[in-house]
Amino acid sequence: MKKLMLVALICASAVFAEIQPEPTGIIETLPETWPAHWIIAHDAAFFHMSDGKLIVLDADSDDVTGRFKGFMNASFIGMFVQARTRPEIYLAETFRSRGSRGERTDVLTIYDKRTLGPVGEVVLPPKRSSNMPTDYNLQLVDDEKLALIYNFTPAQSVSVVDVVAREFLAEIPIPGCALTYPMGGRAFSSVCGDGSLLTVVLGDDGQQASSSRTEPFFDVDDDPMMEKAAMHGGIAYFPTFHGNIYPVDLNGTVPVVGEPWSMIGDEEGGWRPGGLQLAASDSSGHLYFLMHAQGREGSHKDPGVEVWVFDGEAESRVSRIELSLPAISIAVTRDDNPLLIATNINMEIDVYDATSGNHLRTLGDFGQETPLILRAAH
Amino acid sequence: MKWLDGMTESGTREIASKTSRRGFLGRLAAVLAGGAATIPLLPVARSQESSNPPPGEQGDPTSCEYWRYCAIDGFLCGCCGGSMNSCPPGTEMSPITWIGTCENPVDQKKYIISYNDCCGKSSCGNCLCQRNEGDRPLYRPQVSNDINWCLGTSSNSYHCSTAIVVGTALDE
Repeated sequence: MKKLMLVALICASAVFAEIQPEPTGIIETLPETWPAHWIIAHDAAFFHMSDGKLIVLDADSDDVTGRFKGFMNASFIGMFVQARTRPEIYLAETFRSRGSRGERTDVLTIYDKRTLGPVGEVVLPPKRSSNMPTDYNLQLVDDEKLALIYNFTPAQSVSVVDVVAREFLAEIPIPGCALTYPMGGRAFSSVCGDGSLLTVVLGDDGQQASSSRTEPFFDVDDDPMMEKAAMHGGIAYFPTFHGNIYPVDLNGTVPVVGEPWSMIGDEEGGWRPGGLQLAASDSSGHLYFLMHAQGREGSHKDPGVEVWVFDGEAESRVSRIELSLPAISIAVTRDDNPLLIATNINMEIDVYDATSGNHLRTLGDFGQETPLILRAAH
Repeated sequence: MKWLDGMTESGTREIASKTSRRGFLGRLAAVLAGGAATIPLLPVARSQESSNPPPGEQGDPTSCEYWRYCAIDGFLCGCCGGSMNSCPPGTEMSPITWIGTCENPVDQKKYIISYNDCCGKSSCGNCLCQRNEGDRPLYRPQVSNDINWCLGTSSNSYHCSTAIVVGTALDE
């Protein structure tokens, strides 16, 4: 009997040895520079906010599974910004020690784009604003050395972090004003409730060196300016509820407010801008806005049925793109053949040729629930 | 999905009110006075409160169309174990909040609504409702429904939103 068992074991070993076992422990990585048509879908997980995700997708791909490149967790309506000069993504998050309760900790998490893993964090004052995600809750200034995080407790302030030294530097009060729009050098602006801009210039140490305030320039009651600007060449193009554009040059350390112009002109139908992330730009200076018809008080977050494309410098419309499904958020890739990407009302992502307006594909079935915000990869 | 339902409902709704500077001041006064019943209201609101009975109610408080929800964005507490003016068991009501000005179909009067959030548990997930009448951007937080108002509570975890009548609006 023992002999028989020995023979069986030898035979089994021989069979086993004929197959080269696959190695275990392989973990994929991504390139340092992502292709221009890769995108990040911020699934804020509105129905369970502590489990948000920044999902990396190839918007060029028709391979339903292969276009999914990986994701980063983003806790409790995280706010993120991509560095252009380093393969890093910065993400402001909130955690509680017992899930939905317990001690609150806010952190700025530093992700490596190659591994999609966290490589550092800076603990922040537990004050960061928890609001529907915007592009301007977290921004970089000073050649991407300083990160600025908008706080709301409801006292309003901005946390300053040195992302190179991985160090919290300062908290700058911005009473009556909101969000952070990056400017030249170590400066930023915030939009204020009286229709003005507050500008803060930071010193070497991240503390406030000086501040200034514009005169109120928009009507906060009858035609409020949205906080959702399309940015190109350092100029923020802010749409208003009624479809006017305020161009604000943020290249210096004092904002220069330009003359407003109308997106609507003599177009009939009650068109207005609307949506969550309703404004975008491409690298040629074209501005994209989600638009809906029959606008009225309260329609400023309605899904858009068209995207209107403008030449920001010429202040004129270039094209209209009819969407295959109404959308709440848009973004545009930053290359010579840009894609327009749009989160539609089914919480899928429609991909369009931004130049022709042709619908190319729909990205669904990637595990998403509420991909509220889209960004093109840098 | 529910998200879509809330969006499209808001897209088809008729709007009665318009914003004016006076209207804004009225709403600001209310929010400065505080939305919670434990915080004293401004004299103007208090006088209204003392001389008038609570408004009559008409409609389904678990429907997004209900009159009090004209500026709400969130899960209706009435679908989450609470009601339009109470929080579900085990949650904590935010003492500060955003407000709306909504017209009651019973008497065609405009009332100031305090949308106190209920906090300390994760998203209720039921009856998502988004309406934006009088909603304004984040630089006017007192009338902005894009903010998680679970502030001043032991946890900032957002669960659902109430819609509490705190006064009558000043005439437009």
